[in-house]
Amino acid sequence: MVKDENVLTNEGMRFFGRMSATATHEIKNTLAIINESAGLLKDLSIMAEKGSPLPPARINDISRMLTRQVKRADLILKKLNRFSHSVDLSTEVADLEKTVSFVLDLASPLIEKQETAVKITAPVSPMMVTTNLFYLENMIWRAVETACCAAKEKKQVIISFGTDLTAPSIWFSMDTGKNTLMDDLFGSKEDRALMTYLDISIEKNKKNNGFGFLWPKCI
Amino acid sequence: MSKQNAINEISGIQAYHKFNISKKNTFEMPSRVLLVDDEKEFVLTLSERLQMRDMATAVVYNGKSALDLIHNDAPEVMIIDLKMPGIDGMEVLKKVKQTQPEIKVIVLTGHGSEQDKQKCMDLGAFAYMQKPIDINRLSETLKKAHENITADE
Repeated sequence: MVKDENVLTNEGMRFFGRMSATATHEIKNTLAIINESAGLLKDLSIMAEKGSPLPPARINDISRMLTRQVKRADLILKKLNRFSHSVDLSTEVADLEKTVSFVLDLASPLIEKQETAVKITAPVSPMMVTTNLFYLENMIWRAVETACCAAKEKKQVIISFGTDLTAPSIWFSMDTGKNTLMDDLFGSKEDRALMTYLDISIEKNKKNNGFGFLWPKCI
Repeated sequence: MSKQNAINEISGIQAYHKFNISKKNTFEMPSRVLLVDDEKEFVLTLSERLQMRDMATAVVYNGKSALDLIHNDAPEVMIIDLKMPGIDGMEVLKKVKQTQPEIKVIVLTGHGSEQDKQKCMDLGAFAYMQKPIDINRLSETLKKAHENITADE
């Protein structure tokens, strides 16, 4: 049991570190653009002192670029702040679709790097589970990463939800090409610890081109 | 628009361009610098500032375009980001050092891992620098790269 807890804690820290590193990397990029824009304004002012006319359209472009990057950095920080608060409660009621959307947004630079389009098909009604939000986000990310790696032909992953609101489920399907999904999918000790903690089981879909996470039926 | 410019626009490649305003001697700086970064606003602004400092620059937004470009039109120095979709900066560095080792590669990244830095230096990077960068520090590094090339010749 203690061993499982250690596996879970280590996996949680790895996930937190990876998402934080991704967000801070993005913030560094926005700062780099702000830095270059400020530097360009300085260059233009030095040139103006030497007699070159200031180009108003260029100044306007730079101003808009600065505003855009400040907004971008603010959005990244909001995401990071929301993510940091995922650890506040040990259990809470989570909306599965909203949680999946948030994880995709948080990890968007990592997903873009894989050049895979990830799309969500919304459930007919909100699908709620009582769970630990942070580890749910962690498990969803592991699933998205696995699905992106398995998407071979058409680099696309579709995330959908089951129809039985009393037995929540999330499904990930992709074009696996000639490859079929491995039997030991989510067989690592980290996956097993997460699934046990979150009380979810895994099933392959009927076409063998995807998998689902299933929660026990609530009576 | 010329045919070459039209091709460049389609492929996301900005041909080496120089519009210099500064009046200083240019022989101490690299004449052709290729910038590779998927952050378009960053790379275009940096390119504009380097052009103001007497360097001819070209810009591409991904690793594949960079490798395509250097095959036909090699720069003296490349400034590359590490994290890019498709072929990432590390892979570009590796391929450049295998095929055209004379090109000096400066890694300029927002990613701060010491392991990445070590890996890049082991692969033959000329320098590993962090974003945001001070333009004078970058210019100084570009100057050193150029001196290094001149010494090799």
